[in-house]
Amino acid sequence: MSTALLEIEGLSKSFGGVVAVDNCSMTIREGSVVGLIGPNGAGKSSVIDLVSGFEQPTSGSVRFDGVDVVGKRPDQISRMGLIRTFQTPREWRDLSVIDNVRVGRSDLERESLWRSLTSARRLRRQEALDTQELRELMEHYRLDELRNSRAEGLSGGQKRLLEFARIAAAKPRLTILDEPMGGVNPVLGERIGEAIRELKQAGSTVVVVEHNLPFIERTCDEVVVMDLGSVIAQGRFDELRDNKRVVDAYLGNDDE
Amino acid sequence: MLEYWTAILTEATIFGVLALGIDMIWGWAGDFDLSAYAYFALGVYMTIVMTVGKAKAPVEYVLGWHLPYLLAVAIAVVVVVAFASMIGAVALRNLRDVYFSITTLGAVWAVYYLVENFTPLFNGYNGVFGLFDPMGGGLSYNAYHYYFFAFCLLVLFLVYLLVMRLSRSPFARMVRAVRDDERAASVYGRNVFWAKYRTYLCGAGLAGLSGGLFAAYIGAFNPLDWKPTEIFVLYAAILVGGRGNPRGVVLGSFIVYVGFVEMTRYIPSPAARPELGPALRQILIGLLIILMLKFRPNGLLPERLGTDGTNPRRSWRALFSRSKFLRDPREDDAVADPADAVES
Repeated sequence: MSTALLEIEGLSKSFGGVVAVDNCSMTIREGSVVGLIGPNGAGKSSVIDLVSGFEQPTSGSVRFDGVDVVGKRPDQISRMGLIRTFQTPREWRDLSVIDNVRVGRSDLERESLWRSLTSARRLRRQEALDTQELRELMEHYRLDELRNSRAEGLSGGQKRLLEFARIAAAKPRLTILDEPMGGVNPVLGERIGEAIRELKQAGSTVVVVEHNLPFIERTCDEVVVMDLGSVIAQGRFDELRDNKRVVDAYLGNDDE
Repeated sequence: MLEYWTAILTEATIFGVLALGIDMIWGWAGDFDLSAYAYFALGVYMTIVMTVGKAKAPVEYVLGWHLPYLLAVAIAVVVVVAFASMIGAVALRNLRDVYFSITTLGAVWAVYYLVENFTPLFNGYNGVFGLFDPMGGGLSYNAYHYYFFAFCLLVLFLVYLLVMRLSRSPFARMVRAVRDDERAASVYGRNVFWAKYRTYLCGAGLAGLSGGLFAAYIGAFNPLDWKPTEIFVLYAAILVGGRGNPRGVVLGSFIVYVGFVEMTRYIPSPAARPELGPALRQILIGLLIILMLKFRPNGLLPERLGTDGTNPRRSWRALFSRSKFLRDPREDDAVADPADAVES
Protein backbone atom coordinates (compact mmCIF):
# COMPACT_ATOMS: atom_id res chain seq x y z
CA MET A 1 0.00 0.00 0.00
CA SER A 2 1.52 3.27 -1.07
CA THR A 3 0.87 6.69 0.38
CA ALA A 4 -1.89 9.08 -0.61
CA LEU A 5 -0.81 11.72 -3.12
CA LEU A 6 -4.14 13.50 -3.47
CA GLU A 7 -6.71 13.63 -0.69
CA ILE A 8 -10.05 15.27 -1.34
CA GLU A 9 -12.37 15.65 1.61
CA GLY A 10 -15.90 16.97 1.81
CA LEU A 11 -15.39 19.07 -1.31
CA SER A 12 -18.40 21.13 -2.44
CA LYS A 13 -18.91 23.72 -5.11
CA SER A 14 -22.07 25.49 -6.14
CA PHE A 15 -22.51 27.91 -9.02
CA GLY A 16 -25.45 30.04 -7.94
CA GLY A 17 -28.17 27.53 -7.17
CA VAL A 18 -26.52 24.65 -9.02
CA VAL A 19 -24.56 22.26 -6.83
CA ALA A 20 -21.85 20.88 -9.12
CA VAL A 21 -19.81 19.10 -6.48
CA ASP A 22 -21.51 17.91 -3.29
CA ASN A 23 -19.46 16.70 -0.34
CA CYS A 24 -17.09 14.76 -2.55
CA SER A 25 -14.27 12.74 -0.97
CA MET A 26 -11.64 10.54 -2.57
CA THR A 27 -8.05 9.49 -2.12
CA ILE A 28 -5.60 8.92 -4.97
CA ARG A 29 -2.65 6.73 -4.05
CA GLU A 30 0.80 7.53 -5.36
CA GLY A 31 1.80 5.47 -8.37
CA SER A 32 -1.69 4.38 -9.38
CA VAL A 33 -3.67 5.01 -12.55
CA VAL A 34 -7.19 5.92 -11.53
CA GLY A 35 -10.19 6.22 -13.81
CA LEU A 36 -12.75 8.85 -12.84
CA ILE A 37 -16.09 8.00 -14.41
CA GLY A 38 -19.68 9.06 -14.09
CA PRO A 39 -22.54 10.28 -16.24
CA ASN A 40 -22.46 13.73 -17.84
CA GLY A 41 -22.95 16.40 -15.21
CA ALA A 42 -21.67 14.16 -12.39
CA GLY A 43 -19.12 16.81 -11.45
CA LYS A 44 -15.95 15.18 -12.76
CA SER A 45 -14.63 18.21 -14.60
CA SER A 46 -15.63 20.48 -11.72
CA VAL A 47 -13.57 18.36 -9.34
CA ILE A 48 -10.59 18.69 -11.67
CA ASP A 49 -11.03 22.48 -11.80
CA LEU A 50 -11.17 22.61 -8.01
CA VAL A 51 -8.11 20.42 -7.56
CA SER A 52 -6.03 22.32 -10.12
CA GLY A 53 -6.97 25.74 -8.78
CA PHE A 54 -9.10 27.02 -11.67
CA GLU A 55 -12.12 27.18 -9.37
CA GLN A 56 -12.31 27.73 -5.62
CA PRO A 57 -14.46 25.32 -3.59
CA THR A 58 -17.41 26.49 -1.53
CA SER A 59 -16.21 24.16 1.23
CA GLY A 60 -13.98 21.17 1.80
CA SER A 61 -10.28 20.51 1.45
CA VAL A 62 -7.83 19.33 -1.19
CA ARG A 63 -4.43 18.08 -0.07
CA PHE A 64 -1.76 17.44 -2.65
CA ASP A 65 1.23 15.59 -1.26
CA GLY A 66 0.14 16.56 2.23
CA VAL A 67 -0.20 20.29 1.48
CA ASP A 68 -3.54 22.08 1.43
CA VAL A 69 -3.87 23.63 -2.01
CA VAL A 70 -7.24 25.36 -1.63
CA GLY A 71 -6.78 29.06 -2.40
CA LYS A 72 -3.62 28.57 -4.42
CA ARG A 73 -3.42 29.71 -8.05
CA PRO A 74 -3.23 27.10 -10.84
CA ASP A 75 0.41 27.94 -11.57
CA GLN A 76 1.36 27.52 -7.91
CA ILE A 77 -0.31 24.11 -7.77
CA SER A 78 1.34 23.18 -11.06
CA ARG A 79 4.76 23.99 -9.67
CA MET A 80 4.08 21.50 -6.89
CA GLY A 81 3.94 18.84 -9.60
CA LEU A 82 0.38 18.68 -10.86
CA ILE A 83 -0.35 18.87 -14.59
CA ARG A 84 -3.86 18.64 -15.98
CA THR A 85 -5.33 18.66 -19.46
CA PHE A 86 -8.61 20.01 -20.75
CA GLN A 87 -11.28 18.27 -22.81
CA THR A 88 -9.85 19.71 -26.01
CA PRO A 89 -6.10 19.81 -26.66
CA ARG A 90 -4.67 23.21 -25.80
CA GLU A 91 -1.50 23.69 -27.75
CA TRP A 92 0.23 27.08 -27.95
CA ARG A 93 -0.75 27.54 -31.54
CA ASP A 94 1.74 30.14 -32.75
CA LEU A 95 4.70 28.36 -31.20
CA SER A 96 6.55 25.62 -33.04
CA VAL A 97 5.99 22.05 -31.93
CA ILE A 98 9.43 21.88 -30.33
CA ASP A 99 8.80 25.14 -28.47
CA ASN A 100 5.55 23.71 -27.14
CA VAL A 101 7.52 20.84 -25.64
CA ARG A 102 10.24 23.20 -24.42
CA VAL A 103 7.74 25.35 -22.56
CA GLY A 104 6.25 22.11 -21.22
CA ARG A 105 9.61 21.36 -19.69
CA SER A 106 8.95 24.31 -17.38
CA ASP A 107 12.49 25.49 -16.87
CA LEU A 108 11.28 28.56 -15.03
CA GLU A 109 14.69 29.88 -14.00
CA ARG A 110 15.69 30.35 -17.61
CA GLU A 111 12.72 32.61 -18.19
CA SER A 112 14.01 35.38 -15.97
CA LEU A 113 13.74 38.68 -17.81
CA TRP A 114 17.09 39.81 -16.47
CA ARG A 115 18.95 36.66 -17.47
CA SER A 116 17.33 36.73 -20.90
CA LEU A 117 18.92 40.15 -21.43
CA THR A 118 22.28 39.62 -19.78
CA SER A 119 23.22 36.02 -20.47
CA ALA A 120 21.42 35.26 -23.71
CA ARG A 121 24.30 33.23 -25.11
CA ARG A 122 24.58 31.01 -22.05
CA LEU A 123 20.83 30.37 -22.15
CA ARG A 124 21.04 29.44 -25.82
CA ARG A 125 23.84 26.97 -25.09
CA GLN A 126 21.82 25.40 -22.30
CA GLU A 127 18.83 25.08 -24.59
CA ALA A 128 20.91 23.47 -27.31
CA LEU A 129 21.93 20.80 -24.82
CA ASP A 130 18.28 19.82 -24.34
CA THR A 131 17.51 19.58 -28.02
CA GLN A 132 18.62 15.96 -28.34
CA GLU A 133 16.48 14.88 -25.41
CA LEU A 134 13.47 16.79 -26.75
CA ARG A 135 13.88 15.29 -30.21
CA GLU A 136 13.92 11.79 -28.79
CA LEU A 137 10.75 12.62 -26.92
CA MET A 138 9.12 13.92 -30.09
CA GLU A 139 10.34 10.94 -32.07
CA HIS A 140 8.58 8.81 -29.51
CA TYR A 141 5.31 10.64 -30.11
CA ARG A 142 5.80 10.71 -33.88
CA LEU A 143 6.17 14.48 -33.94
CA ASP A 144 9.84 14.77 -34.85
CA GLU A 145 9.19 15.54 -38.51
CA LEU A 146 6.87 18.34 -37.50
CA ARG A 147 9.06 19.79 -34.75
CA ASN A 148 9.78 23.06 -36.54
CA SER A 149 6.28 23.74 -37.77
CA ARG A 150 3.56 25.78 -36.17
CA ALA A 151 1.56 23.78 -33.63
CA GLU A 152 -1.67 25.22 -34.99
CA GLY A 153 -1.29 23.20 -38.18
CA LEU A 154 -1.28 19.82 -36.43
CA SER A 155 -4.20 17.46 -36.85
CA GLY A 156 -6.48 16.77 -33.92
CA GLY A 157 -4.71 13.50 -33.18
CA GLN A 158 -1.27 15.03 -33.40
CA LYS A 159 -2.36 17.70 -30.94
CA ARG A 160 -3.32 14.96 -28.48
CA LEU A 161 0.12 13.41 -28.88
CA LEU A 162 1.77 16.82 -28.47
CA GLU A 163 -0.10 17.15 -25.20
CA PHE A 164 1.43 13.87 -24.02
CA ALA A 165 4.90 14.89 -25.18
CA ARG A 166 4.53 18.12 -23.23
CA ILE A 167 3.44 16.24 -20.09
CA ALA A 168 6.31 13.78 -20.46
CA ALA A 169 8.71 16.73 -20.70
CA ALA A 170 7.21 18.30 -17.58
CA LYS A 171 7.66 15.10 -15.51
CA PRO A 172 4.72 15.79 -13.16
CA ARG A 173 3.98 13.86 -9.98
CA LEU A 174 0.27 13.82 -10.72
CA THR A 175 -1.31 13.99 -14.18
CA ILE A 176 -5.03 14.57 -14.56
CA LEU A 177 -6.34 13.84 -18.05
CA ASP A 178 -9.79 15.19 -18.91
CA GLU A 179 -11.24 12.92 -21.61
CA PRO A 180 -8.02 12.13 -23.48
CA MET A 181 -9.98 9.88 -25.87
CA GLY A 182 -12.44 12.54 -27.05
CA GLY A 183 -12.63 12.44 -30.86
CA VAL A 184 -9.87 9.88 -31.14
CA ASN A 185 -9.89 6.84 -33.42
CA PRO A 186 -9.17 3.32 -32.08
CA VAL A 187 -5.59 3.12 -33.38
CA LEU A 188 -4.61 6.40 -31.76
CA GLY A 189 -6.56 5.28 -28.70
CA GLU A 190 -4.11 2.40 -28.31
CA ARG A 191 -1.25 4.85 -28.49
CA ILE A 192 -2.83 7.02 -25.81
CA GLY A 193 -3.32 4.02 -23.53
CA GLU A 194 0.35 3.27 -24.01
CA ALA A 195 1.26 6.89 -23.25
CA ILE A 196 -0.63 6.67 -19.96
CA ARG A 197 1.25 3.51 -18.98
CA GLU A 198 4.50 5.25 -19.88
CA LEU A 199 3.58 8.17 -17.65
CA LYS A 200 3.06 5.71 -14.81
CA GLN A 201 6.43 4.08 -15.51
CA ALA A 202 8.06 7.48 -15.47
CA GLY A 203 6.77 7.90 -11.93
CA SER A 204 3.61 9.94 -12.40
CA THR A 205 0.32 9.14 -10.75
CA VAL A 206 -2.46 9.46 -13.32
CA VAL A 207 -6.15 10.30 -13.03
CA VAL A 208 -8.17 9.76 -16.22
CA VAL A 209 -11.64 11.15 -16.76
CA GLU A 210 -13.17 9.14 -19.57
CA HIS A 211 -16.47 7.85 -20.91
CA ASN A 212 -14.91 4.98 -22.83
CA LEU A 213 -15.30 2.16 -20.28
CA PRO A 214 -13.35 -0.56 -22.11
CA PHE A 215 -10.47 1.89 -22.27
CA ILE A 216 -10.76 2.57 -18.53
CA GLU A 217 -10.85 -1.16 -17.84
CA ARG A 218 -7.67 -1.77 -19.85
CA THR A 219 -5.75 1.22 -18.57
CA CYS A 220 -6.64 1.88 -14.96
CA ASP A 221 -5.75 0.08 -11.74
CA GLU A 222 -8.69 1.55 -9.94
CA VAL A 223 -11.92 3.38 -10.71
CA VAL A 224 -13.76 6.17 -8.92
CA VAL A 225 -17.43 6.55 -9.84
CA MET A 226 -19.15 9.90 -9.40
CA ASP A 227 -22.81 10.80 -9.64
CA LEU A 228 -24.65 14.01 -8.72
CA GLY A 229 -21.49 15.68 -7.49
CA SER A 230 -20.21 13.04 -5.10
CA VAL A 231 -18.31 9.77 -5.17
CA ILE A 232 -20.59 6.75 -5.07
CA ALA A 233 -17.98 4.03 -5.34
CA GLN A 234 -14.25 3.45 -5.54
CA GLY A 235 -12.48 0.19 -6.30
CA ARG A 236 -11.29 -2.20 -9.01
CA PHE A 237 -13.28 -2.13 -12.23
CA ASP A 238 -14.48 -5.75 -12.05
CA GLU A 239 -15.67 -5.26 -8.46
CA LEU A 240 -17.73 -2.24 -9.44
CA ARG A 241 -19.42 -3.95 -12.36
CA ASP A 242 -21.67 -5.73 -9.87
CA ASN A 243 -22.27 -2.70 -7.66
CA LYS A 244 -25.97 -1.90 -7.94
CA ARG A 245 -25.59 1.87 -7.38
CA VAL A 246 -22.94 2.15 -10.02
CA VAL A 247 -24.96 0.20 -12.53
CA ASP A 248 -28.05 2.29 -11.86
CA ALA A 249 -26.24 5.60 -11.95
CA TYR A 250 -24.06 5.08 -14.92
CA LEU A 251 -23.64 1.77 -16.64
CA GLY A 252 -27.33 1.03 -16.76
CA ASN A 253 -28.24 4.38 -18.18
CA ASP A 254 -25.49 4.50 -20.69
CA ASP A 255 -25.35 2.99 -24.13
CA GLU A 256 -22.03 1.46 -23.30
CA MET B 1 15.21 68.90 -49.17
CA LEU B 2 17.89 67.13 -47.16
CA GLU B 3 16.66 68.78 -43.98
CA TYR B 4 13.17 67.67 -44.83
CA TRP B 5 14.20 64.05 -45.22
CA THR B 6 16.25 64.19 -42.06
CA ALA B 7 13.22 65.41 -40.17
CA ILE B 8 10.96 62.68 -41.55
CA LEU B 9 13.47 59.94 -40.92
CA THR B 10 14.11 61.19 -37.38
CA GLU B 11 10.40 61.00 -36.73
CA ALA B 12 10.21 57.48 -38.18
CA THR B 13 13.15 56.44 -36.02
CA ILE B 14 11.57 57.80 -32.84
CA PHE B 15 8.28 56.12 -33.61
CA GLY B 16 10.21 52.93 -34.39
CA VAL B 17 11.27 52.82 -30.74
CA LEU B 18 7.66 53.38 -29.66
CA ALA B 19 6.42 50.69 -32.07
CA LEU B 20 8.93 48.19 -30.68
CA GLY B 21 7.54 48.87 -27.22
CA ILE B 22 3.91 48.54 -28.29
CA ASP B 23 4.75 45.38 -30.19
CA MET B 24 6.09 43.75 -27.02
CA ILE B 25 2.74 44.37 -25.36
CA TRP B 26 0.56 43.47 -28.34
CA GLY B 27 2.73 41.19 -30.46
CA TRP B 28 4.28 39.12 -27.72
CA ALA B 29 1.78 39.26 -24.89
CA GLY B 30 -1.32 39.75 -27.07
CA ASP B 31 -2.69 42.71 -25.12
CA PHE B 32 -4.16 45.38 -27.38
CA ASP B 33 -3.06 48.34 -25.31
CA LEU B 34 -4.40 51.78 -26.17
CA SER B 35 -2.70 53.78 -23.45
CA ALA B 36 0.85 53.64 -24.85
CA TYR B 37 0.44 57.14 -26.27
CA ALA B 38 -0.03 58.42 -22.74
CA TYR B 39 3.31 56.84 -21.78
CA PHE B 40 4.89 58.41 -24.83
CA ALA B 41 3.40 61.82 -23.99
CA LEU B 42 4.38 61.54 -20.35
CA GLY B 43 7.91 60.81 -21.52
CA VAL B 44 7.89 63.97 -23.64
CA TYR B 45 6.45 66.18 -20.90
CA MET B 46 8.74 64.85 -18.19
CA THR B 47 11.83 65.28 -20.34
CA ILE B 48 10.93 68.87 -21.16
CA VAL B 49 10.02 69.97 -17.62
CA MET B 50 13.21 68.43 -16.27
CA THR B 51 15.49 70.21 -18.73
CA VAL B 52 14.13 73.69 -19.51
CA GLY B 53 14.33 75.23 -16.04
CA LYS B 54 11.83 77.22 -13.98
CA ALA B 55 8.52 78.21 -15.50
CA LYS B 56 8.00 81.93 -16.04
CA ALA B 57 4.48 83.28 -15.48
CA PRO B 58 1.95 82.92 -17.00
CA VAL B 59 3.43 79.58 -18.05
CA GLU B 60 3.33 76.99 -15.28
CA TYR B 61 4.48 73.41 -14.94
CA VAL B 62 5.88 71.03 -12.35
CA LEU B 63 9.56 70.54 -11.48
CA GLY B 64 11.21 73.07 -13.79
CA TRP B 65 14.61 71.52 -13.32
CA HIS B 66 17.71 72.09 -15.34
CA LEU B 67 19.04 68.55 -15.69
CA PRO B 68 21.27 67.26 -18.46
CA TYR B 69 19.16 65.85 -21.29
CA LEU B 70 20.19 62.19 -21.01
CA LEU B 71 19.63 62.13 -17.25
CA ALA B 72 16.21 63.70 -17.74
CA VAL B 73 15.28 61.02 -20.30
CA ALA B 74 16.39 58.29 -17.91
CA ILE B 75 14.27 59.72 -15.10
CA ALA B 76 11.35 60.19 -17.48
CA VAL B 77 11.52 56.49 -18.38
CA VAL B 78 11.45 55.56 -14.68
CA VAL B 79 8.44 57.82 -14.09
CA VAL B 80 6.62 56.36 -17.10
CA VAL B 81 7.27 52.79 -15.93
CA ALA B 82 6.04 53.66 -12.45
CA PHE B 83 2.88 55.17 -13.93
CA ALA B 84 2.35 52.17 -16.24
CA SER B 85 2.78 49.83 -13.30
CA MET B 86 -0.38 51.31 -11.78
CA ILE B 87 -2.46 51.12 -14.97
CA GLY B 88 -1.09 47.68 -15.80
CA ALA B 89 -1.85 46.37 -12.32
CA VAL B 90 -5.50 47.28 -12.76
CA ALA B 91 -5.95 46.45 -16.43
CA LEU B 92 -4.00 43.19 -16.58
CA ARG B 93 -5.15 41.58 -13.36
CA ASN B 94 -8.40 40.09 -14.62
CA LEU B 95 -9.26 41.92 -17.83
CA ARG B 96 -8.48 40.54 -21.27
CA ASP B 97 -9.13 41.31 -24.92
CA VAL B 98 -11.60 44.10 -25.51
CA TYR B 99 -12.11 44.74 -21.78
CA PHE B 100 -8.40 45.35 -21.38
CA SER B 101 -8.42 47.69 -24.38
CA ILE B 102 -11.39 49.64 -23.05
CA THR B 103 -9.71 50.08 -19.68
CA THR B 104 -6.49 51.33 -21.22
CA LEU B 105 -8.46 53.62 -23.53
CA GLY B 106 -10.18 55.07 -20.47
CA ALA B 107 -6.80 55.58 -18.85
CA VAL B 108 -5.30 57.45 -21.79
CA TRP B 109 -8.28 59.81 -22.10
CA ALA B 110 -8.24 60.45 -18.36
CA VAL B 111 -4.59 61.42 -18.61
CA TYR B 112 -5.28 63.49 -21.71
CA TYR B 113 -8.00 65.61 -20.12
CA LEU B 114 -6.10 65.90 -16.88
CA VAL B 115 -3.06 67.27 -18.70
CA GLU B 116 -5.20 69.57 -20.83
CA ASN B 117 -7.21 71.05 -17.99
CA PHE B 118 -4.94 70.96 -14.96
CA THR B 119 -2.47 73.67 -15.94
CA PRO B 120 -0.06 73.44 -12.96
CA LEU B 121 0.98 70.04 -14.29
CA PHE B 122 2.22 70.70 -17.83
CA ASN B 123 0.75 74.12 -18.61
CA GLY B 124 -2.51 72.61 -19.85
CA TYR B 125 -3.74 73.37 -23.31
CA ASN B 126 -0.80 75.60 -24.22
CA GLY B 127 1.78 72.96 -23.40
CA VAL B 128 5.44 73.18 -22.54
CA PHE B 129 8.30 74.32 -24.75
CA GLY B 130 11.84 75.52 -24.88
CA LEU B 131 13.91 72.38 -25.29
CA PHE B 132 16.44 72.95 -28.04
CA ASP B 133 19.90 71.64 -28.63
CA PRO B 134 19.83 69.17 -25.77
CA MET B 135 23.36 68.00 -26.54
CA GLY B 136 24.57 71.48 -25.64
CA GLY B 137 27.09 71.59 -28.46
CA GLY B 138 26.18 75.04 -29.69
CA LEU B 139 25.67 73.65 -33.17
CA SER B 140 23.85 75.45 -35.92
CA TYR B 141 20.21 74.61 -36.38
CA ASN B 142 20.77 72.29 -39.35
CA ALA B 143 23.88 70.59 -38.06
CA TYR B 144 22.06 69.90 -34.83
CA HIS B 145 19.31 68.10 -36.70
CA TYR B 146 21.76 65.82 -38.50
CA TYR B 147 23.48 64.95 -35.24
CA PHE B 148 20.20 64.38 -33.52
CA PHE B 149 19.06 62.07 -36.30
CA ALA B 150 22.27 60.06 -35.93
CA PHE B 151 21.67 59.94 -32.19
CA CYS B 152 18.10 58.67 -32.66
CA LEU B 153 19.29 56.05 -35.13
CA LEU B 154 21.84 54.87 -32.60
CA VAL B 155 19.19 54.63 -29.89
CA LEU B 156 16.84 52.75 -32.23
CA PHE B 157 19.64 50.37 -33.15
CA LEU B 158 20.52 49.65 -29.52
CA VAL B 159 16.87 49.22 -28.57
CA TYR B 160 16.40 46.93 -31.56
CA LEU B 161 19.36 44.77 -30.48
CA LEU B 162 17.99 44.48 -26.96
CA VAL B 163 14.45 43.71 -28.10
CA MET B 164 15.72 41.21 -30.67
CA ARG B 165 17.79 39.48 -28.01
CA LEU B 166 14.80 39.35 -25.72
CA SER B 167 12.52 38.23 -28.53
CA ARG B 168 14.56 35.06 -29.02
CA SER B 169 14.87 34.35 -25.31
CA PRO B 170 13.05 31.81 -23.16
CA PHE B 171 11.28 34.78 -21.54
CA ALA B 172 9.61 35.84 -24.81
CA ARG B 173 8.75 32.25 -25.64
CA MET B 174 6.96 31.95 -22.32
CA VAL B 175 5.15 35.26 -22.87
CA ARG B 176 4.02 34.07 -26.30
CA ALA B 177 2.79 30.80 -24.79
CA VAL B 178 0.76 32.86 -22.31
CA ARG B 179 -0.61 34.86 -25.25
CA ASP B 180 -1.65 31.75 -27.17
CA ASP B 181 -3.37 30.01 -24.26
CA GLU B 182 -3.04 31.35 -20.77
CA ARG B 183 -4.90 28.51 -19.10
CA ALA B 184 -2.48 26.02 -20.60
CA ALA B 185 0.41 28.26 -19.56
CA SER B 186 -0.76 28.31 -15.96
CA VAL B 187 -1.16 24.52 -16.06
CA TYR B 188 2.57 24.45 -16.77
CA GLY B 189 3.43 26.67 -13.84
CA ARG B 190 3.50 30.11 -15.47
CA ASN B 191 2.15 33.07 -13.53
CA VAL B 192 0.04 34.65 -16.25
CA PHE B 193 -0.35 38.09 -14.68
CA TRP B 194 3.34 38.40 -13.85
CA ALA B 195 4.37 37.40 -17.39
CA LYS B 196 2.05 39.96 -18.96
CA TYR B 197 2.87 42.63 -16.40
CA ARG B 198 6.62 42.47 -16.92
CA THR B 199 6.16 42.66 -20.68
CA TYR B 200 3.80 45.60 -20.25
CA LEU B 201 6.32 47.54 -18.18
CA CYS B 202 9.09 46.87 -20.72
CA GLY B 203 6.85 48.17 -23.50
CA ALA B 204 5.86 51.24 -21.46
CA GLY B 205 9.53 51.92 -20.76
CA LEU B 206 10.28 52.00 -24.47
CA ALA B 207 7.29 54.31 -25.00
CA GLY B 208 8.74 56.64 -22.38
CA LEU B 209 12.16 56.49 -24.04
CA SER B 210 10.72 57.37 -27.44
CA GLY B 211 8.92 60.26 -25.73
CA GLY B 212 12.26 61.44 -24.38
CA LEU B 213 13.67 61.48 -27.91
CA PHE B 214 10.60 63.18 -29.31
CA ALA B 215 10.90 65.93 -26.70
CA ALA B 216 14.24 66.95 -28.16
CA TYR B 217 12.96 66.58 -31.70
CA ILE B 218 9.90 68.73 -31.35
CA GLY B 219 11.09 71.08 -28.57
CA ALA B 220 7.54 72.05 -27.62
CA PHE B 221 4.63 69.84 -26.74
CA ASN B 222 0.95 70.42 -26.09
CA PRO B 223 -2.19 68.26 -26.11
CA LEU B 224 -2.77 68.96 -29.81
CA ASP B 225 0.43 67.05 -30.53
CA TRP B 226 -0.75 63.78 -29.11
CA LYS B 227 -4.29 62.79 -29.85
CA PRO B 228 -4.60 59.33 -28.25
CA THR B 229 -6.17 58.00 -31.47
CA GLU B 230 -2.82 58.51 -33.22
CA ILE B 231 -1.84 55.17 -31.71
CA PHE B 232 -3.62 53.44 -34.58
CA VAL B 233 -0.92 54.70 -36.92
CA LEU B 234 1.54 52.74 -34.79
CA TYR B 235 -0.65 49.67 -34.89
CA ALA B 236 -0.74 50.08 -38.68
CA ALA B 237 3.07 50.17 -38.68
CA ILE B 238 3.23 46.98 -36.61
CA LEU B 239 0.67 45.25 -38.83
CA VAL B 240 2.50 46.20 -42.01
CA GLY B 241 5.90 45.16 -40.72
CA GLY B 242 4.95 42.03 -38.87
CA ARG B 243 3.47 41.73 -35.42
CA GLY B 244 5.85 39.98 -33.05
CA ASN B 245 8.94 40.39 -35.23
CA PRO B 246 11.15 43.33 -34.12
CA ARG B 247 12.79 43.53 -37.54
CA GLY B 248 9.38 43.79 -39.18
CA VAL B 249 8.19 46.38 -36.68
CA VAL B 250 11.12 48.69 -37.48
CA LEU B 251 10.52 48.18 -41.21
CA GLY B 252 6.82 48.89 -40.75
CA SER B 253 7.50 52.09 -38.84
CA PHE B 254 9.61 53.43 -41.69
CA ILE B 255 7.11 52.36 -44.33
CA VAL B 256 4.17 53.92 -42.54
CA TYR B 257 5.85 57.10 -41.29
CA VAL B 258 7.79 57.85 -44.44
CA GLY B 259 5.47 56.32 -47.02
CA PHE B 260 2.08 57.13 -45.64
CA VAL B 261 2.18 59.86 -43.05
CA GLU B 262 4.68 62.09 -44.80
CA MET B 263 4.38 61.35 -48.50
CA THR B 264 0.63 61.80 -48.35
CA ARG B 265 1.24 65.42 -47.38
CA TYR B 266 1.87 65.93 -51.08
CA ILE B 267 -1.70 65.01 -51.91
CA PRO B 268 -2.97 68.25 -53.43
CA SER B 269 -5.94 69.88 -51.77
CA PRO B 270 -8.11 72.31 -53.70
CA ALA B 271 -7.75 75.81 -52.29
CA ALA B 272 -11.38 75.79 -51.23
CA ARG B 273 -11.02 72.55 -49.28
CA PRO B 274 -7.68 72.58 -47.46
CA GLU B 275 -8.81 69.80 -45.14
CA LEU B 276 -9.08 67.31 -48.01
CA GLY B 277 -5.40 66.29 -47.98
CA PRO B 278 -5.18 65.40 -44.28
CA ALA B 279 -8.53 63.60 -44.49
CA LEU B 280 -7.31 61.55 -47.45
CA ARG B 281 -4.25 60.68 -45.42
CA GLN B 282 -6.39 59.22 -42.64
CA ILE B 283 -8.39 57.28 -45.20
CA LEU B 284 -5.25 55.90 -46.82
CA ILE B 285 -3.92 54.70 -43.48
CA GLY B 286 -7.25 53.05 -42.73
CA LEU B 287 -7.19 51.44 -46.15
CA LEU B 288 -3.65 50.22 -45.54
CA ILE B 289 -4.73 48.49 -42.32
CA ILE B 290 -7.68 46.84 -44.03
CA LEU B 291 -5.67 45.65 -47.02
CA MET B 292 -2.88 44.30 -44.84
CA LEU B 293 -5.35 42.42 -42.66
CA LYS B 294 -7.02 40.99 -45.72
CA PHE B 295 -3.99 39.96 -47.73
CA ARG B 296 -1.06 39.72 -45.38
CA PRO B 297 -2.30 39.61 -41.81
CA ASN B 298 1.08 38.47 -40.50
CA GLY B 299 2.84 41.47 -42.01
CA LEU B 300 5.80 41.65 -44.37
CA LEU B 301 8.10 39.88 -41.91
CA PRO B 302 5.97 37.55 -39.80
CA GLU B 303 6.85 36.46 -36.30
CA ARG B 304 9.64 33.90 -36.30
CA LEU B 305 8.99 30.40 -35.11
CA GLY B 306 11.43 29.10 -32.52
CA THR B 307 13.05 26.05 -34.08
CA ASP B 308 15.73 23.60 -33.00
CA GLY B 309 18.24 25.27 -35.30
CA THR B 310 18.35 22.49 -37.91
CA ASN B 311 15.96 24.35 -40.17
CA PRO B 312 16.80 28.05 -39.93
CA ARG B 313 13.96 30.04 -41.39
CA ARG B 314 15.11 33.49 -42.37
CA SER B 315 12.35 35.95 -41.94
CA TRP B 316 13.19 37.83 -45.14
CA ARG B 317 12.39 34.67 -47.06
CA ALA B 318 8.92 34.85 -45.66
CA LEU B 319 8.47 38.00 -47.74
CA PHE B 320 8.09 35.78 -50.77
CA SER B 321 5.95 33.07 -49.25
CA ARG B 322 2.22 33.18 -49.01
CA SER B 323 0.79 33.86 -45.60
CA LYS B 324 -0.66 30.73 -44.09
CA PHE B 325 -3.33 32.78 -42.39
CA LEU B 326 -4.95 33.32 -45.75
CA ARG B 327 -6.43 29.89 -45.24
CA ASP B 328 -9.51 29.64 -43.15
CA PRO B 329 -8.35 28.09 -39.87
CA ARG B 330 -11.55 26.06 -39.80
CA GLU B 331 -10.27 24.14 -42.81
CA ASP B 332 -7.52 22.77 -40.64
CA ASP B 333 -9.99 21.44 -38.15
CA ALA B 334 -12.13 19.92 -40.86
CA VAL B 335 -9.29 17.80 -42.18
CA ALA B 336 -7.94 17.01 -38.74
CA ASP B 337 -7.94 13.26 -38.65
CA PRO B 338 -6.42 11.56 -35.63
CA ALA B 339 -5.24 8.78 -37.93
CA ASP B 340 -2.72 11.19 -39.46
CA ALA B 341 -0.80 11.11 -36.25
CA VAL B 342 -0.39 7.37 -36.39
CA GLU B 343 0.33 7.04 -40.06
CA SER B 344 2.72 9.92 -40.44
